[in-house]
This record gives sequence, C-alpha cells and structure tokens, in this order.
Amino acid sequence: MNTFFRRVTVGAILFALICPVVPADNAPWSTGTAYTLPAGRWEKGLFQPLRYGQTERLEWATHPVLNLVVPNLRFKVAYRDFKDWRLATRHGFHYPTPLLRLVRRPGIGGLISPESDIPDIPHILAARSELLATRVLSPALWLTCKGGVSVALRTGELDERTTIDLPIVFPRMALFLHGYQLNLGMDLLADFPGRWAIWTDVDLLMIPGAEESFSLEHKGLAIWSRSERFQVLIGYKLVYGAYPDYPRARTQWHLLPLLDLQWARQRKTR
Amino acid sequence: MRKVLVTIGMFRWLVASTLLLACEPIVNTFNEVEEAVYYQAAEIITPPETADTLMVMNWNIKFGGGDLNFWFDCYGDRVLMTEEEVLTNLDSLVEKIRQVDPDIILLQEVDVEAKRVAYVDQMQYLLDHTDLNYGVYISEWDTQFIASDGIGRMDGEGNGILSRWPFIEAKRIALPLRTDQDALTQYFYIRRGLLTAMVELPGYDNFHVLTIHAAAFSQDGTKKKHIDIFNEELDKIDATGGLFVAGGDLNTIPPGSQKLHDFKDSICEEEEFRGDDYQEETEWLTGLYESYHPAISLSDYQADNALYFSHSTNPRNGFTRKLDYLFTNSAWVTGSGYTHQEIVSVERALSDHAPVSAQLVLP
Repeated sequence: MNTFFRRVTVGAILFALICPVVPADNAPWSTGTAYTLPAGRWEKGLFQPLRYGQTERLEWATHPVLNLVVPNLRFKVAYRDFKDWRLATRHGFHYPTPLLRLVRRPGIGGLISPESDIPDIPHILAARSELLATRVLSPALWLTCKGGVSVALRTGELDERTTIDLPIVFPRMALFLHGYQLNLGMDLLADFPGRWAIWTDVDLLMIPGAEESFSLEHKGLAIWSRSERFQVLIGYKLVYGAYPDYPRARTQWHLLPLLDLQWARQRKTR
Repeated sequence: MRKVLVTIGMFRWLVASTLLLACEPIVNTFNEVEEAVYYQAAEIITPPETADTLMVMNWNIKFGGGDLNFWFDCYGDRVLMTEEEVLTNLDSLVEKIRQVDPDIILLQEVDVEAKRVAYVDQMQYLLDHTDLNYGVYISEWDTQFIASDGIGRMDGEGNGILSRWPFIEAKRIALPLRTDQDALTQYFYIRRGLLTAMVELPGYDNFHVLTIHAAAFSQDGTKKKHIDIFNEELDKIDATGGLFVAGGDLNTIPPGSQKLHDFKDSICEEEEFRGDDYQEETEWLTGLYESYHPAISLSDYQADNALYFSHSTNPRNGFTRKLDYLFTNSAWVTGSGYTHQEIVSVERALSDHAPVSAQLVLP
C-alpha cells in the first residue's frame, strides 16, 4: 500500500512539474501568500473573510457577518520583490467586546460566566501587524514565511476567568488578557495541474512570559477549484497548545475538521 | 523535486499521526465498567501494620465550593471560583479531615480538571495535604466544554476514596442515566458512577470500599435505580464473604424521617433543580438499613432527626435533612457514629454537606 501511495504521489508531482503553472504578479485566490488579489477581484468564503483587491498591491479583508459582533478590518500591502522573495505586510484590527459580552450569559450559549463576581468585560481593541515573504520554489510550489506582533488595548481589567478555554479561541483570547502576542508561521502551497492544490501551514502564537504561552497550529487543506470563481477547501486543523491548569498550564492536542466554500468575482478595471 | 517529495511525505505523516493522537470525544460517555484513576500522595506516610478499628469518614465536599452561593442552589449566581477561593476552601477541608484523622475517607463531588475550580486537582491536593497516602477516583462529568452558564471545561463532580493503604481493583460501574431530560441535555449532563475498590489492608485480602452519589434531581426513579444497584453490589460482596465499608450521598432520607417536603432552604423554582420532595422515598433505604450496619443507627436517627441532618442548600441556617451515609457488614464501635454539623457556623460553611464518621470494627 505504501509503495502504491508513493508511486501515485511521485507521479502526481512529476505531472505537476511537467505542466507548470506560471505564477502571476497576483494570486487568483488568497492562500496565505504575500501576493495580493488582482485589482477588482473579490472573494468570499463561508468562513473565510470577504477579500477585495483594490489595486495590484493593496488587498482589503473583513468578515462581514462577524462585523455585527466583532467589527474587524484587515489590509495587505505588497512591496517590491527582495531577491526571490515577494514581500508584503498585513495589518488589521478587531474589536471583540460586543461578542464577548454577547456570550457572557446564563443558560445555553453562555460561553463566559455571567456571575456578578466577574467584572464587566472592558472595551478591547486588538491590532496585528505582520510581515509576509513568499518565494516560488518551483512553479507549482509556493513557500510563505510570516511573522508578526499583536497588541490589545483595554479600558479596564479583564478577569482571568473571562476566557473560553477552547483550541483556536483560547490563544486568541490570551492576547486580550496579556496585551501582546507574537506570531510566526510558514505556509506551503502545492499547486497541481488542473483543479487541485494542497495548502498546508504551521503557525505559532506566543506570549513570552505568560504561563499559557503558546499555541502551535497546523492546517492541511485540499483545494478543488472548479474555476477562478469557485473553489472548495476541505481538510483539518491540528492544534497543540497550552491551556489554563493548576499548578501550571497543561498542553493538549486537538484535531478539528475544516471545510469552506469560496466564491470570487472579477470587477472589470480600466 | 526533493523539497516537494519531503513536503508531501511530511503532510501524509502529519495527517496519519494526528488522526491517531488527537481524537478526543467532546463528552466522555464512560464504559459500563472501567478502571478508576489511581492517585498517590507526593509524600507517603508509612501506614500502621495492624489495626483493630478504622476511622472511616464520608463527605460530599461540594467541589471545594464552601459556602459560596452557586447558581444551581438559587441563592446566588456564582459559577467559577478563583484559584484563591478554591485553595482557601480546600485548606479548610484539609483542616477538618486532619482533625477527624480518618484512615479511609469517601468523597463525593470532587473536581479534578474543571474551570469552575480553577483547574485544581482536588484529589491530589487533599492527598498531598493530609496524612492519607493513596486515592482512587471516578469522574461523573467529563466534558471538553459545556457551553452553558460559562461552565466550560469540566472533569469532576466525581467520587473518590482516600486511604492510608494502597488500592487494587478500583473500578467505575456506570449507573443508569436520567431519562427525564432531552437528548442534548442528557448527553452533556452528569453521568453517575459507583466507585468500588479493594484496600490492601494488612491481614485482610477481601476488604472493599464503595462510594456513590445518587442522582439528585431526577423525577423518573433514576435515584431509586442507583440505590438499588449500590445495594446489589454490597450484597455481592457480602455473599462472597468480603468485608466492606460503603457510603456516600444517597440523596434521599432515612425511613422514619419526619420532614418529607417543603424544606425551607429549597428555594429553586425551576423544576430542573427541585429535589426536595421525599414523600415517595420513605422506604427506599429500608433494605440497606435492614441488611447492613449504618454508622448512625435508625433508632438514634428516629429519636432525634435533627442531630443527624447532613445537608442544606443554605447550610449557614442549619442542616435540614440527612442524605449522607456509611454502612458496613462488619460493625461500628458503639456510639462512634457522628455527623459533623460543626463544619457550619453563622460565619462560614465548609460544604453544603456535613461529614459522617464512625469507627469501623475490623473482625
């Protein structure tokens, strides 16, 4: 079985190399690279944000539905290539207070304790800036490295019990508690000829000095593109992170399924 | 080419290995019978080689909640304790346990990995701060996350036994689930279990200890089923010539109780948390009392119910009913049975249940 898989894998890669996909200055789909969307193109997923390429070098992103409870906005700016690397920076902010207050409630749906012993959730404004660098290793293989820093500003104290101790969620809420967070990551996009691609990444969220100091997140996605206007993403997310415990933080693995559908449109530009 | 092959290979390896390593159910539904969790104190204090009697204690410790007013009691809205609150309350429990100095203690409502107790492993804490050396534990509520009232991660509400001597053959026997709840509530709700273990007491190779926390708020007879299974397990041990000490929070009153309903401390109006009408339950413990020896005899209890009350949802105003028990098929030292109502004063309460203790006669 292993030999069979190996042959299929090698065959698929050879085929990919024989039929190269020539990378453009922009990426038709936003897949974690330093490339921005082409000007006039927008894309939206069930779970991924709405993205819009304003110019060849500037891309905006926001989660429209989430905006009702977590106002958020992000933009990516691409720069001149540095040697073989395409460089971009990504900056964004979000305001999670309305959502946190919404899920702080009695009964079902209460993710945060509503007890009067815990003070009100203050206003929190979180911002992140990242540097992204993408190198095209081969026409079918794109490597992106990224690193960034996040800060959170609060109008008051946030009680330590005001956390949701779940994978993905807890490390992001830890930012609100501690006020800062670093992130490092690497994305790899393997583009196959025809309709398939594989997108895999590793991200490390760190809060140096904090007890629950890290979350290592890995994603594996198979992407099937029907066209440049529709694609399906299916895969998994693996998280190994530190969570609150006594007398010291505990680490735990979680494996979560990922599924998304994405649509895109291209607005005609002059 | 090499990079691509390495990448794909790593990708496959990661998928395969993570599928094996990382899958954990949202709710632990427990097997019918499974091994209990074994504990050991950080420092072992050499236990006595011989003993004629053993001091045995039973205590529902309310997960170290002391006299905080929790939402389910309808006296307050507390859900999550701070680490300081938990440790302060546990230290008070430790002080009481050290004062009674039991050889074996049966515990109910012990949390080991729960957000509501700031993730303090209460089994380990009690072992490390008392003269007891070994512990066995079964969880009754093990859920990755409860998305209600901010409860969050929960592994607790369990039964434990601590002893000076090691345990063997400790197991969890699953008790029937309540059937008066909708499927979703039942899935995430407490799953009761009977903890049974053998203590390696020098000179005794068939000494069993059992503890149970019967269903509290069921309206469908589940509590009766739990008590019957408890009784049956004791009968099995007795029939094979085993010696046992058993107890717990049976959540029902002894035969001959004068007050059967409308307890002044029960103020919850929600049906879900009403469990204070015992009119149909007056004979549910008759079998246990007739077959085995209670730490507090029925005649003593019937002579003055109030002396032996062990529970109230508002304990600072005094206990209102007896729910906590110790039984054996050996004997108790006459007059040694005691209900520690002194754990409550107008200033503070260590739990909403009073411990019961008695001196077990070893044959």
